[in-house]
Amino acid sequence: MKLRLEDLNRIREDYKRQNTLRRDGYRVRITVHTGTCGLAAGAKRILDAIHDEIDKSGARDILLRVSGCAGLCIREPMVTVEVIDKPPVRYADLTEDGIREIFNEHILNGRIVERSALVIGYENFLDKHPSQTLTEEKTSVPLMDAFPFYNLQILRALKNKGIIDPESIEDYIGHDGYQAAAKALLQMTPEEIIAEVKKSGLRGRGGAGFPTGMKWEFCSKVKSDIKYILCNGDEGDPGAFMDRSVMESDPHVVLEGMIIGARAIGASKGYIYVRAEYPLAVKRLQMAINQAREYGLLGEDILGSGFNLDIEIYQGAGAFVCGEETALMRSIEGKRGMPIPRPPFPVEKGLWAKPTVLNNVETYANIPHIILYGGDWFRSLGTEKSTGTKVFALTGALNNVGLIEVPMGIPLRTIIYDIGGGIKNKRRFKAVQLGGPSGGCIPEHLLDTPVTYEDIVQTGAIVGSGGMVVMDDTNCMVSVARFFLEFTTDESCGKCPPCRIGTKVMLDKLTDITEGRGKEGDIELLEDIARDIIDTALCGLGQTAPNPVLTTIRYFRDEYESHIREGWCKAGVCKELATFYIDEELCKGCGLCLKACPTGAVTGEKRKPHRINTDLCIKCRSCFMACPVRFSAVKIGPGRMVVRQT
Amino acid sequence: MIELTINNKKVVVKEGTTILEAALQNGIDIPYLCYDKRLTPYGACRVCLVEVEGQKKLLASCSTPVTNGMVVKTETPRLNKARRAVLELLLVHHPLDCPICDKAGECKLQDLAFKYGPAEGRFTGEKRHELTDTESPLIERNPNRCILCGRCVRVCGELQGVGAINIIGRGFKSKISPAFEETLDCEFCGQCIDACPVGALGGKPYKYRARVWLLEEHESICPYCGVGCTVTYDVREERLIRARGVEGKGINDGNLCSKGRFGFDYIYAEGRLKTPLIKEDNSFKSVSWEDALGYVAKNLRVIKERYGTDSIAAIGSPRCTVEDNYMLQKFMRNVIGSNNIDSISRFGYVKAQIAIEMAFGVSSLPIGFDSPLNKEVILVIESDITSTHPVWGLNFLKAKRNGSRLIVADTRETKLTRHSTNWLRIRPGTGTALLNGIMHIAIEEGLYDKENAPKIPNFDSLRDVVKGYNPSSVSMITGIREDELVEISRQFLTADSRLVALTMVVGENTKGMNTVLSASNLIILIGEEPSSLQLPAEYCNTYGLFRAGVMPEPDGKDILSTLYNHGTTKALYIMGENPVVTFPDATTVEKALKGLDLLIVQDIMLTETARLADVVLPASSSLEKDGTFINAFGIEQKIKKIVPTVGDSLPDWQIIRNLARVMGTDIGARNLQALREELEEIRDKEGHLTLRFNPVRHSVTEETDGDYPLNLITGNLMQHSGALSVMSKGLSHAVADAFLQISPNDAKRYSIRDNSFVRVTSRRGSVFVKARVSDEVPDGSIFVPIHFPHARINNLTTISINGDPPITTVRIETARGE
Repeated sequence: MKLRLEDLNRIREDYKRQNTLRRDGYRVRITVHTGTCGLAAGAKRILDAIHDEIDKSGARDILLRVSGCAGLCIREPMVTVEVIDKPPVRYADLTEDGIREIFNEHILNGRIVERSALVIGYENFLDKHPSQTLTEEKTSVPLMDAFPFYNLQILRALKNKGIIDPESIEDYIGHDGYQAAAKALLQMTPEEIIAEVKKSGLRGRGGAGFPTGMKWEFCSKVKSDIKYILCNGDEGDPGAFMDRSVMESDPHVVLEGMIIGARAIGASKGYIYVRAEYPLAVKRLQMAINQAREYGLLGEDILGSGFNLDIEIYQGAGAFVCGEETALMRSIEGKRGMPIPRPPFPVEKGLWAKPTVLNNVETYANIPHIILYGGDWFRSLGTEKSTGTKVFALTGALNNVGLIEVPMGIPLRTIIYDIGGGIKNKRRFKAVQLGGPSGGCIPEHLLDTPVTYEDIVQTGAIVGSGGMVVMDDTNCMVSVARFFLEFTTDESCGKCPPCRIGTKVMLDKLTDITEGRGKEGDIELLEDIARDIIDTALCGLGQTAPNPVLTTIRYFRDEYESHIREGWCKAGVCKELATFYIDEELCKGCGLCLKACPTGAVTGEKRKPHRINTDLCIKCRSCFMACPVRFSAVKIGPGRMVVRQT
Repeated sequence: MIELTINNKKVVVKEGTTILEAALQNGIDIPYLCYDKRLTPYGACRVCLVEVEGQKKLLASCSTPVTNGMVVKTETPRLNKARRAVLELLLVHHPLDCPICDKAGECKLQDLAFKYGPAEGRFTGEKRHELTDTESPLIERNPNRCILCGRCVRVCGELQGVGAINIIGRGFKSKISPAFEETLDCEFCGQCIDACPVGALGGKPYKYRARVWLLEEHESICPYCGVGCTVTYDVREERLIRARGVEGKGINDGNLCSKGRFGFDYIYAEGRLKTPLIKEDNSFKSVSWEDALGYVAKNLRVIKERYGTDSIAAIGSPRCTVEDNYMLQKFMRNVIGSNNIDSISRFGYVKAQIAIEMAFGVSSLPIGFDSPLNKEVILVIESDITSTHPVWGLNFLKAKRNGSRLIVADTRETKLTRHSTNWLRIRPGTGTALLNGIMHIAIEEGLYDKENAPKIPNFDSLRDVVKGYNPSSVSMITGIREDELVEISRQFLTADSRLVALTMVVGENTKGMNTVLSASNLIILIGEEPSSLQLPAEYCNTYGLFRAGVMPEPDGKDILSTLYNHGTTKALYIMGENPVVTFPDATTVEKALKGLDLLIVQDIMLTETARLADVVLPASSSLEKDGTFINAFGIEQKIKKIVPTVGDSLPDWQIIRNLARVMGTDIGARNLQALREELEEIRDKEGHLTLRFNPVRHSVTEETDGDYPLNLITGNLMQHSGALSVMSKGLSHAVADAFLQISPNDAKRYSIRDNSFVRVTSRRGSVFVKARVSDEVPDGSIFVPIHFPHARINNLTTISINGDPPITTVRIETARGE
């Protein structure tokens, strides 16, 4: 069936009618969050258990649905329960028994299971705040607008993520999906689309932050028989999962953004480049493409506008460098994924030497809203030069690990301490890593930096695609730098010597330092070669690869120096540079370290100070991590320290 | 034009030029490793970085186009530091085995390290320990020395259209390798060797042979095909040890094929003749020049007296120089008094010449090295130009890359068909039918030169003939689909610029004079310039042979009547030719040669033909003498003596001059200078352009039938073309023996597997040859490369007298138990 605008609106209205609980005879709606995070945590078992319970109870008034990630990934599996006329209740950390209890208590009998409930209310989305729906009932479950993880976020790109069924196009249309595409195709000229996107100030969310409207404008002005619109779903930063979540929970928004972009630049063919390691994203995108084709939202004469576009998925083999635009295009061409020098820029000569626009998944996810609500609306959030919201994958030593979307300009501290709930296990914050292997580590004294493209760059890091890894004081910054260098060394395509060999010699140097072979002058040597690599490397991967090293040297130089001069890794990560011992005055003899020790190196009686036999110690840090922070009795000395055994 | 400033110097260059090109054009040196002007910019090596005012980043000059008012600096402290860093990094893992590296002394990495590099590296890293690929014939790859500039990969894939190697692995583990790390097995053009700036790729014949500074560098012309590439020959202690193509030199501008690069060692083949030989009691005896020439003179005189001048004939050679051939015909005409002089080109280019003269009134059309470029449509008729004229063939690939539509009609899959836009897999020898079919559509649809064509003689009969070649009948004859034919024809006929190219090579049997006539008809019908028909001469000196007068004109006997219609010829003087191996229908040829009273063979080796001779005269090869070649593009090129002559051998022209003297006639040519002055006087036969249609119908010499159910296609290989290449050890490493290509279906039908010995039988004889099952040939046709002396395919082949393609039909059987 080829949809026209009327059909689109009819589907939307039908959907709204059917899914409003009252009208359709449903009393309860259960949404199981089945993103990769949820599934990994056991969402499938939860889903099966609910099916089972529904069958057993024979209830016919329960609407069971699935949707994508619910944001707080660390608390998956999660389920949202909506009882008619009541605000939704989100349950977390579910087990099979837990869900059966919830089914019997809450769903069948309307009694919220407070033990398992995380939060009550609606999330903030777009710029509305519908979460104020209060419940009359007295409950100890926090309300959405009093829950910092949720109430400091504003969902735009992610607005559908925990709500719609990603495998249903009707769901998407029911949530105003494809309205923006209809507007762009039927009411706007390409120039108007570009003007609106330019007005919004939207900058590429893939990391470089290039203004999207300008990119489209450049490409729209190039004459060509065919143009391409590409979507970069090759998210490859360690710790990043923003784009995966969008593709998994709201695949149609990507298609809609691409349709609008294609219309703006005059492209007739699109490719979504997704790494094959994202099978669920690939599956859901493919379903979305098939559905959109069936409804004539892809193909010829979309919505009767006379505009044609088809989109295909191209699965990448998981090379990090294929996230670089020219390498990505070579990969689609079936060639080895290696960057080529620019100019010519892809907007002039991209895929198969034709004008091509490549945007990131999150960028596309913002486009429909800009078209529907306008550029001014978009820039109502954020700062002058960094407008709108940004999605971050918040990971590391935090209490709340998950996927967040915040207005740009929000200070890092707010993200880490309020949304992120602070550092896990009451440890001390040490650094936050932004921008993955191209980014850098930001120390505590810069935590008030607002998250904008301009301000973050000042710190030596970059906003990047949105990976945000928080590290506590158990992290060795030299090892962190080494970790990222190891990643870029592995992922370098090998085309240009600075990246191919430069990252390798830097990695070798860092390995030397972490293994006790560091020498005076090594830090300066690293800084020098790093600058040469930045100056000479061919593409963004190489030019930014030294950033993690440079920022850690800049902010944690003392750690490098203690590694080199004192042979001492104070975090105890570098085995050769650490000796573990117990401060007998601080030790309360709780025995946790003794239990944790895998080799029997820790000895001691209950309530008496313990000791570590350094001959048996393998420096696994288990005792150190096990010792309660309030005691902090396990100490780390330099690698060559002699611990007197008494 | 764009004006910019480089190092304070104002320069003006064409739009689209890169900074590096602009600098090089203006004598400003920018160092580079991965740039190659033949290839698209790659931007990998990072030593060509420059500073551009207003740009924060350093830019790769090889890939950045110039803009108006650009201010470029190529040598600054920042750039020096950047280059030093890159070179330092490249050297960290480099084996630094310069003392035993053949590239030392001409290595770009050495040179740049010398200029920019640090005196000492600050990093020590593990060296790479990849295995050197020594198994492959001719080319040795040492990945440890490789700097991954990718020039070899790109030359192979982009320029040469082969793609035998690519980069595998990622990051520090990247290396250049054939697919699946197998041994390199490619067409062995060796272009990668010249492209490699370091010692990672080397020619095996050159390995450990010399330090470069011990080499003397000479330039001469390749003795193989008609392209006439300029080759730089490196000589150490009077021995030729390497051939290279050098950018900027000759028509080939640095490109060479496997024959040019590896085929020069035919001069060191075993069995080079060192002295004249006279046959006594069926064995040869070394004699002095006096005795040999005396013997020849005496016997020629006797035969002349006994049977008359018409009983003596000679065969010249398109591989000998203009000077050699001139002297041979002069000897025949002035000393013997006979015009019975001809050459192997009778089976090849002469057919084309006759056809072109019939159609255009001139004996040759201008052939241009760059003619394929900038044509909208190129139609190639049953010709594998990438084998017969490899370096010219590169321009066809280039044209395709630049957007020309390349239509190739060929039975076999060749490099050209692989790179074609459309491959018309016609049945062998049906090119005429295809061309007639295109003309049919042109006339039917009015897509021809309606104003002029009807005024050209024979237009009506052409129209009548092609009328019968409607798409359905052409489809029947050629085997291609009707709609395909119609579509291709329209694309060709409606294009703004068109080119028809074909070759007429002795070893190929799918074309005849009629094919050329038909192609000429098409060119004239559509009103294209005659130069739109490109039919290059085959050998290095085919043109020179004709200019020198090696033709049986006005009243002499040609080869066909000398050798295939035997009777009156009693003495034959063969210079630089091996008819037993290279002429069709060898049995007949051999019989004719054996029946002669006197056979004189003048050659560099004791060839199969020379073995039948009464007297053998040792000649110098083209690398051992001065002389002139005229290539397929009509360019006169001097060849130079690079190595000493072997034994008592002499340049052919000197032998003939001396013989004339012994016979009491001075035919001049005291020395080469005098001879060249004499040649200056010669003008090519001039004609003037008069167009004429010569309608022809499709027919081939032999059609398949129950007894001979398969079509035998013969042709050249990229590595072999005729009698010379098989003498080369180098080329024999690549392809040592004849083989028979047979389709998988046919192989099954005849129970043939790879490497089975197969007996191939035609109406004239049979040969044994090893099979290679390959889908490069279609069912019903087999392909065998010609010219291998121990599998005499020319025992099977036939001559064509009426202009039809000399298609041979054969039957095959496995040679089990024989």
